[in-house]
Amino acid sequence: MERLKKMIPDYEKFFEWHDWKSIRINTLKIEKDKLIEKLDFEIKEIPWYEHGLWVKGDVSHAIEYYLGYYHIQEAGSMIPPLFLSPQGKAIIIDACAAPGSKATQLAMRDEDAIIIANDVNIKRIRALVHNVQKAGAKNVVVTNYDARFLYALGIEADYILLDAPCTASGKIPKKESIAKKWNYGRIKAMSKKQKKLIEGAYRSLKKDGVMVYSTCSIEPEENEEVVDYAIKNFNLEIEEVKIKGLKTRKGIKKWDGKEYDAEKCSRIWPQDNQTEGFFICRLRKF
Amino acid sequence: MQIKKILTKEEIKDIEEIIEKNYGCKIKIDGMFLTKDDKLWIASPPALKIAESLKRCYRIGIYFGRLKRNNKIKLNIEGAIIIGRKARKNVAYVDDNNAIKFAQGYDIQNFECNECEINNFIIVKRGEDAIGVGILREGYIENLISKARRLNL
Repeated sequence: MERLKKMIPDYEKFFEWHDWKSIRINTLKIEKDKLIEKLDFEIKEIPWYEHGLWVKGDVSHAIEYYLGYYHIQEAGSMIPPLFLSPQGKAIIIDACAAPGSKATQLAMRDEDAIIIANDVNIKRIRALVHNVQKAGAKNVVVTNYDARFLYALGIEADYILLDAPCTASGKIPKKESIAKKWNYGRIKAMSKKQKKLIEGAYRSLKKDGVMVYSTCSIEPEENEEVVDYAIKNFNLEIEEVKIKGLKTRKGIKKWDGKEYDAEKCSRIWPQDNQTEGFFICRLRKF
Repeated sequence: MQIKKILTKEEIKDIEEIIEKNYGCKIKIDGMFLTKDDKLWIASPPALKIAESLKRCYRIGIYFGRLKRNNKIKLNIEGAIIIGRKARKNVAYVDDNNAIKFAQGYDIQNFECNECEINNFIIVKRGEDAIGVGILREGYIENLISKARRLNL
């Protein structure tokens, strides 16, 4: 708890959670206005994303959900694809894509783009495939590679989303059980793995290509430390991102006796935007 | 995923004709391919091209339906949604309650048919929404929605 107090701004507010659920409209199947007309929920718009909605209602049992007109997706998880913001007929790799929320979000952004939705875990790939099918995303190719060796794909991507596996401590306000599982050894092991993953992603990125590194962890070892490692070892530079309606805070500069060169990264705190906690950083290869 | 054949323009045209004959509408399809189990899939042409260059590929695009020997296509939900928007025949309309029942996997007895042929595949619609596909039997529609896609209440 002392560790959290030291790290989190407005510490008391961090644990306040709301009872709204968030959904993402699947514009591959339906227009926003038409869906809103059909839904029998209390609705409010998510200010930073035009296709995101806060809703109160039985979202997983509606016929519109069955039809794939919307996807149940935590509002915070809608942000990394916005940071990536791919343009045109690009090749985009979602390196750790299962269960596919972000990959299908990217797929609906531009149907001319190609999304390579990759995941190492075959069980989780089944959920990914199910969600791609339900989304009606024709531009998604699902692959099953270890993201540390993404180069085995033989493709250099214009954009890579690396939403890395993490300890998920950003979900603590929503799911207290995660706090009970908190373990420093796990954080260190995860950090080591994430450094390997970011290296794998870097090797598969075109020169001048863009990578977004994100986690739903709030631990600096899994975030700023990984980005700091990447920019010191590879040809990557951080690009600061601002999204209208989204409150972000700077990356942590000093932690536990270490200094990180990652201030331009973004921290999304639950108390700022009613989302899970997220760390997101946009990097360009030079 | 093992692609048996990427369909040529002529072969896609044949599929479009089957659809027109069955559902009375003209549909333009791009990037269709067939897997070994005679399943028809749709992928965007660039995605299909890049998938061909990969050594290993788990899945490309979306499942559309299965080609039957009698020159009919058993559409899945996404296939039904694509065709259902324009379909003029072999379409059954249901109310909200029966739409939910059908989405849950039940056969339904209450519907209104538009030029439906008995023992043929039927697109089931609620208003403008295609809910899925069934087979019209004497007095009811046999549900063909896969277990994995059913609405769980």
